[in-house]
This record gives sequence, structure tokens and C-alpha cells, in this order.
Amino acid sequence: MRKSELASHFNPALFIPELKATDKEAVLKELLDLFVKEKHIRNSAIVLEMLHQREKLGSTGIGKGVAIPHGRTVAASDVLIAFGKSTAGVPFDAMDGKPVHLFFMVIAPPNDEGNVYLQILGSLMPILSDAENLQRMKAVREYNEFIEVIRGE
Amino acid sequence: MAMNDLERLVSLQDLDLMIQETDEVAKLGFNVTGYDELQKAREELANQISRPLLSRYERLRAKLKRAIVPVKNDICLGCFLRQPTSLAARGREDEEIFTCENCGRMLYWLD
Ligand SMILES: [Zn+2]
Repeated sequence: MRKSELASHFNPALFIPELKATDKEAVLKELLDLFVKEKHIRNSAIVLEMLHQREKLGSTGIGKGVAIPHGRTVAASDVLIAFGKSTAGVPFDAMDGKPVHLFFMVIAPPNDEGNVYLQILGSLMPILSDAENLQRMKAVREYNEFIEVIRGE
Repeated sequence: MAMNDLERLVSLQDLDLMIQETDEVAKLGFNVTGYDELQKAREELANQISRPLLSRYERLRAKLKRAIVPVKNDICLGCFLRQPTSLAARGREDEEIFTCENCGRMLYWLD
């Protein structure tokens, strides 16, 4: 997936430059609330349940301070990504045991044309394994700064 | 969380989609060590759904891959047929389970 296409699945309304949450559960809820507020999701309890199950499969904290909670749900119609940042870091049972600072919540419908959902997960990985990108993202205050990193600008 | 039948079916479909895509997600580098636990959660949830409804779900899933699909702007996102307005109003109440007349999938209203 091209970076410009990946960027099109983000949205300024699904962006939190400083999360209030200090634990795993609260982070999931705070990010999910954005989808509800934007009317992308009607029943957040169902989606929260799906995210809990996903964490049961294995923590989505992939290490280096990054987590990508994700999943498909019948309760969504579009593939969208919310971003949230915690300067202090949140314990998230990450693979390397370190607190997580950067959160990418990817919510997708049961089916999507061209399997965009898996492509999004696949194209986030290399961006988020680059140390310089992570440094830049940890410092962003506004959506524009953030999306530049995603676009590779 | 107290769920009704419709919500349980949605959660079951979400779990089945997750189980189905575990390999793909693992290939991307995600941790999926809890696969057995997830299967167990799936069985527990399935046990909470009435037998006839569960077998209807399984039949639809075997035939059409997805047994229950979202409806957005009155369009079934399984086959993209517009649902009758009379159905839409009742579908939103989440009390009864409606099926798409065209593809036969069970419907979950998003708006
Ligand atoms: Zn249909």
C-alpha cells in the first residue's frame, strides 16, 4: 500500500496528541470513544469486547513503545485508524515489557474491498520499526506533523 | 456486559473473523500465542446462543463466509442491496434478527 493511501485512512478527528489514560483498559476506551463521537461506531461495548478478545490472542504491544490494537467487527463499515500518544507511557503487556507511548487503533468491517485492512497493518509495521519515525511521532503536537511522518515527508 | 442474541451473534462473528485471520496477522509480526484461549472463548460464547440460532449462523457462515453483516444507510454490506424502509426502522431497535432478502445474511444496523 502506498503511503498516501495509508494516510487517507487517518483522520484529524481520530487523533489524540496526549492521552489521559494511564492503563491498558482506559487507552482502549479513550481511543474507541473517538470512533463513537465521529459516529463510525454505534455500539462501543461490542467493539471493546472484540478488542479485549484480540488482546487475549496476544498483546498488540509490538515493542519499542508501540501498540496496534486492531480487529474486524460487524459494528463498523469503514477501515479507519485512530492515533493516540502518551508521553508518560502506558503499561500494555508489550512484547518487550516496555511501556507504550504510541497507539494505533485499526478498526475494520467484516469484509473490505481489496483487503485494505491487512494491507494497512502490513504497511504500518515498517514505518513503526524505524527509530527516527518513532522519535518524530513521540514529539508531534498537531495532526499535520503526525501525518507527515506517515506520508514519509 | 449483558448482551442480547443479536449482540452475541455480532461478537461471535467478530471472533470467527479474528480466528480466521490469525495466520495472516502472525505473518505480519504480531503475537498470537493465545490462539487456544481464543478458541475457548469462542466456544463459551457459542454456548450462550440458542441452538437453532447458532445452527442458522453456522449454516450461513459455511455457505456465505460471513453470517451476519452490517447495514449502513439501509444497504446490506454483504450484497449491497437496499433494505425496505419498513424493515430498517425495526432493525435499528436491535430486538429482532432480520435477514437480507437478497443474500440471506443476518443484519446488524449501524446507524
Ligand atoms: Zn444482503
